[in-house]
Amino acid sequence: MAESSISIRGVSKSFGATQAVRNLDLEVPRGSLCGFLGPNGAGKSTTIRMIMSIIYPDSGDITVLGGSTLGNKDRIGFLPEERGLYRKMRVGEFLEFMGHLKGVRGNVRKIASDWLTRLELPGVYDKRCQELSKGMQQKVQVLASVIHNPDLIILDEPFSGLDPVNAAVLSRTIRELHAEGKTIIFSTHVLQQAEELCERIFLINHGVKLLDATMTEIRQRFDPRTIVVEPMTPNGDFRDVPGVLSSRPLSQSHLFELSLEPGADPQRVMQAIASRTAIRSVELRRPTLSDVFVQLVMKDQGEAAARQASEELTTEPAWLAGASSSLDEVIP
Amino acid sequence: MNKVLWIAWREFKHTALTKAFILAAIFIPIMIVGMIFLLGPLLKPRIAPLKGTLVVAASDPEITLGVIREMDPDRIRERQELSRERREKAFGAEAESKMMNPGAAMAEVLRLPSIHVKVEAADADADLEVLKDQVRAGELLAVAVVRDDALVSEQTPATNGYDLFVASDSAPNHTTLFEDALADAIVGVRVGRVGLNIENTRSLLRRPEANTRRVSEDGGEASENVAAKMIIPMAFMTLLWIATFTSGNYLLTSTIEEKSNKVMEVLLSAVSPLQLMTGKLLGQAGVSFILLAMYGGLGIAALIASAMMDLVPMIHLVYLLIFFIMGFFMVAALMAGVGSAVSELREAQSLITPVMMLLMIPLILWLPITENPNGALATVTSYIPPLIPFVMMLRVTAASEPVPLWQILSSIVVGYIWMFIMIWMCAKIFRVGVLMYGKPPTPLELLRWIRYR
Repeated sequence: MAESSISIRGVSKSFGATQAVRNLDLEVPRGSLCGFLGPNGAGKSTTIRMIMSIIYPDSGDITVLGGSTLGNKDRIGFLPEERGLYRKMRVGEFLEFMGHLKGVRGNVRKIASDWLTRLELPGVYDKRCQELSKGMQQKVQVLASVIHNPDLIILDEPFSGLDPVNAAVLSRTIRELHAEGKTIIFSTHVLQQAEELCERIFLINHGVKLLDATMTEIRQRFDPRTIVVEPMTPNGDFRDVPGVLSSRPLSQSHLFELSLEPGADPQRVMQAIASRTAIRSVELRRPTLSDVFVQLVMKDQGEAAARQASEELTTEPAWLAGASSSLDEVIP
Repeated sequence: MNKVLWIAWREFKHTALTKAFILAAIFIPIMIVGMIFLLGPLLKPRIAPLKGTLVVAASDPEITLGVIREMDPDRIRERQELSRERREKAFGAEAESKMMNPGAAMAEVLRLPSIHVKVEAADADADLEVLKDQVRAGELLAVAVVRDDALVSEQTPATNGYDLFVASDSAPNHTTLFEDALADAIVGVRVGRVGLNIENTRSLLRRPEANTRRVSEDGGEASENVAAKMIIPMAFMTLLWIATFTSGNYLLTSTIEEKSNKVMEVLLSAVSPLQLMTGKLLGQAGVSFILLAMYGGLGIAALIASAMMDLVPMIHLVYLLIFFIMGFFMVAALMAGVGSAVSELREAQSLITPVMMLLMIPLILWLPITENPNGALATVTSYIPPLIPFVMMLRVTAASEPVPLWQILSSIVVGYIWMFIMIWMCAKIFRVGVLMYGKPPTPLELLRWIRYR
């Protein structure tokens, strides 16, 4: 196994009667780009705070970059979920201050200026933080977390509050940092972003790890073996196509979902469909993380819990209000 | 530069090197001092020029003669000087007045206006209504009616007086001038009637000056100085209080600001809570020291200017520094603890009120402790945090007879132990508090945070 940047073994954390994290094991391989997923209150931020030694686990061990977080703080870039800026401070001064706190050596001013250009924030160096838009502020915060060129980057909900354009800039930056060899782990509850970016996924719910696998492994393991067909005419009966187990129309569309028989070759089935019927499209359905999550939670806690957790994950949550008191809520 | 020092520098820079601080902490005191020096003499009451006739209706012509003597500008000056001395003795303000404005006493005497009052006699049975009409019409300044029974040696309060009629728009200090002249003239006549000389009697009645000296156990003597005993301790304690409290307040608001701006966790990604708190405390200690040095320097400059530096021995300045460090870190620990526990300034009110009440105690205890610096109250409060530095500052500067050395040393040791305990407790609260949002904690919850891992 590749050397781990973060190694979590048997970690549990309770706040009063509420168990936020239960016996969690996690290995973040060095140089990987990982997504840390889960609905609100799943224990993501608590885990990240424990990784950062902001709070301490009740039991278990956490090793970061082969040692303790406190000993390696200058090698870690961390964007917390609860983040902000000194409103009256100028952007450049804030970045220089954060650079000094994170042990940057050399010309901090130049490093900060270069990063501002890279994140498409030219001309804001001398502006006060309060003069920036929310999206720009968030990019400054991301910049502050990586200004010291860390080996390990931990981003807690980096995309929340960003418009699509800024989200794309951030995605590109994350990919670039990953290409430079950094280990990156970011938490999100928007599954599509994780699917697009990550090579490894950790899924957590109610403090328990449900999934820990690479995207390739997930696609193999959770292959739905389903083909979606859109015929040219609304009517379609595909049950007699060899290899098709069942067919059902999808609501509010002309699409049909065909389940394959065990052992059937999807390629051949699609060819058979195309040769028999005039079709607009045919595709092999890939498992989405949402499907995977629902499946896992359903197995663990039943269908109702799975649906509820899935909704929390896929809809844009009011995270600002909910997550801001995550510690406070659980300490009686 | 060390991370803690970077935090301290930011804290210092964004508190002390701001327009608001420079305006509030530097210009306002300078303006106040300037106003005292420049406006003080101008604001002193002055008597408007007085010209006209005062009619004295009395059966004894000696009264009128006496009033003429008493209305002489030299005699008026003498009387004012006497009353000033009496006032200063009553309030122990001699030194203070000299300290604030050395030339004030002289200026007060010299600033008498031109007084040209003609004193005329009227018969005791003159028509009072006619005279009063003349006062109303502005032809006379005033009419005084002195009855015979005011001149006898045995009097009752009812017979002791005389009537004075002045115009409704007569200035109060003009009326006082007439009243004083008449009263002294009547007393002069009374004294003359029993065969004494009024000048001799006056000088006999002047109260002697006391030259009180305290003799101490070691055989030394120390002069009793009212100003040194009362004003100097208050000045020292206020200096300490303002310096620590002002920067403590800055610490409170900056900590709350970091929480409400949600920049706290960003900082904690780079430094530990203890490093953050230490940096903030050091930064504000710098602010506090600037305030102390600035106000203290102004005070010392004023003392040197008025050649009264002997009121403040060097050891008092050493004590000031020792108790300043203790006082600042005690107040700062309380403020940082409260600041870290709440999310907004208004939420701090419920937690800060008891702290404020505690810190007001030294101000309330100023008088009893200064009057009795070695008493039970002073001794007991010298060991109660966070009162220790303030009470001890009052005691060591108040006592003409020194506070026992063992008490000073033990209170310094106890104070510094308490200071470290308070910083430790604050660090515990700070560590948990900075990550807490939502409902502000109760004092009981704060205690739980101290035990929280």
